[in-house]
Amino acid sequence: MFSMFVLWFLVFVGIFMRRTWVPTLAIAAMVWTLVLLVLHMSDPIPLNF
Amino acid sequence: MNIINNAERVFVSRETQAARIINVLALFALIGVLAGSLHLQLGVGEQPCPLCLIQRSAMIGLAIGPVMNLLWGMKPAHYALSILAAMVGGAGSTRQILLHIADPNDPGYGPAVLGYHLYTWAFITFAVAIVGCAFMLLWNKPFEAQDTGLRFQRSWFRIAALTGIIWVFLDLLVIGISVLPECGLGMCPDDPENITGAGDVGGWLVVLSIGLLAFAIAVAIVSDRKVLKPRTQST
Repeated sequence: MFSMFVLWFLVFVGIFMRRTWVPTLAIAAMVWTLVLLVLHMSDPIPLNF
Repeated sequence: MNIINNAERVFVSRETQAARIINVLALFALIGVLAGSLHLQLGVGEQPCPLCLIQRSAMIGLAIGPVMNLLWGMKPAHYALSILAAMVGGAGSTRQILLHIADPNDPGYGPAVLGYHLYTWAFITFAVAIVGCAFMLLWNKPFEAQDTGLRFQRSWFRIAALTGIIWVFLDLLVIGISVLPECGLGMCPDDPENITGAGDVGGWLVVLSIGLLAFAIAVAIVSDRKVLKPRTQST
């Protein structure tokens, strides 16, 4: 899950440096967050956490 | 109708200035939510669950829109990024709400704040953000002003905006670094063990010191004349 925040860190660095790839990387960070959510949803987790 | 920022003689339309104020307020509202969760983690010692981290990630994504609006200028695409991040965060918080209402005897995860658990507040935040962005997209005037952002202004407002932007960035660093000892590089444990926190007051002091550091950096940036040289002046 650390990787999500690495992606957001790179997005912020891109914003500060005014890079054109920022929106693309931001969308990639969101998609990766969704992938981790889906992976977590497929875990046999208990309901009481 | 234009107003003039006296220090740098940059013309800014009233509509753009109003939109900037709304974006700064939105940024500080997000900082409030992130500060609350960091206080719970660093002060009370309650480690975030995987779904909590997914919602925090989406909160950071939500902040991207206002940050880009303030630094790059008002653009519909920036609000679109915030809406997409709010959808991702909404999915995470909905998942967690559904988990806890599935069992009527489930007390929920973590403490309740004003009657709602943090994931419910997160869902409300994401929903309000989507509605807020939609209203800002209905307002065309700030987009027509050819805004290039706050970069070349010297004013109290630029300090406030930069403080908010840097505060979110520092929160991101703190959240990201604190994930490593809890989860390593993989998925976080579903029900992590609590750690010894800095206490209630200590937690708020940590959160506020992040804000003070952000303010100090913002003042240093605005005071540095070298970064104020405009390439072009917008009229």
